[in-house]
Amino acid sequence: MKKVSMYTLSTCPWCRKTKKFFTEHNIPFDFIDYDLADEATQKRIMQELDANGANGFPFVRIDEEVIVGYNPGRYAKLMGIGGAA
Amino acid sequence: MNVESRKKALRYFFDKVVGPLGYKFTPDGDLMDFLLEQEVMLERKHGIPFCPCQPLSHDRLRDMKIVCPCIPFHRKHFDAIRRCWCGLFVHKDVTNPDSLPQIPLSEVGLE
Amino acid sequence: MPRKDWIYVIDDAKMPEGGMVPVYPLGINILMARVNGKVYALEGRCAHMGCPLFNGMLEGTVLTCPCHDWRFNIQTGEFLDASELRLKVYQTRTEDGKLFVCLGQTEGL
Ligand code: FES
Repeated sequence: MKKVSMYTLSTCPWCRKTKKFFTEHNIPFDFIDYDLADEATQKRIMQELDANGANGFPFVRIDEEVIVGYNPGRYAKLMGIGGAA
Repeated sequence: MNVESRKKALRYFFDKVVGPLGYKFTPDGDLMDFLLEQEVMLERKHGIPFCPCQPLSHDRLRDMKIVCPCIPFHRKHFDAIRRCWCGLFVHKDVTNPDSLPQIPLSEVGLE
Repeated sequence: MPRKDWIYVIDDAKMPEGGMVPVYPLGINILMARVNGKVYALEGRCAHMGCPLFNGMLEGTVLTCPCHDWRFNIQTGEFLDASELRLKVYQTRTEDGKLFVCLGQTEGL
């Protein structure tokens, strides 16, 4: 199965929906809530966001693909599952 | 100040700002309530109602561009997707906010 | 403009060059500022979340709110990042070393 990881904010409803999407499809994922992370981690994530031209969360990586913003259609497509939530 | 009355205060301030810019609060009441509550919490933590869906960089110049309502600082992007990033505000003509995907600036084709 | 619309707010001598002073004629919050000798009168509360602007920073004719750095042109009241938003601007007049503002009519709208 493809590797899924994400950067999220604990305050962001779209980040919650994103986690819910993967949970509901029984897809394991790693995540870091940016706002709850330590300073060094935040700095590293910020650089990664900037490098990908990402202006906000959620920031999802599926293998090498980056998806910025809640986009269940693209998650489903990349994971090869039908009927996007 | 309790959370509910601060939410009301933020609504009052923000309404006056976003109206002239062509925006309104999202018609999705649950989403609006959730986002305003997060902003009240962010205001308690940082003294400022930052966007609940954008990262704080701890660089003042940059962070002041994500204070709600941040529409003036992301106008072209938000006008193109007809909502702000977190979805608290949508264009005045939007009736179904669920139809508006969260498209990042890099994919809007403005750059 | 009928005379009664003008209201005394402060002595001209109390307005230093490059300085800002809050005044409250009839309880209205107004910010007085002097730039290049000319005196401007604007709504004293920020168009964003109402912070008092006299604590802000004045650089030339640009006023920056102390709370979240929104910037305004003190000549027109315009918010620099979205001209649809602006602070109310009041006319001013000096007579016998006294500054008056006109509450009855606003300009720059
Ligand atoms: S209150 Fe002035 S910038 Fe926010």
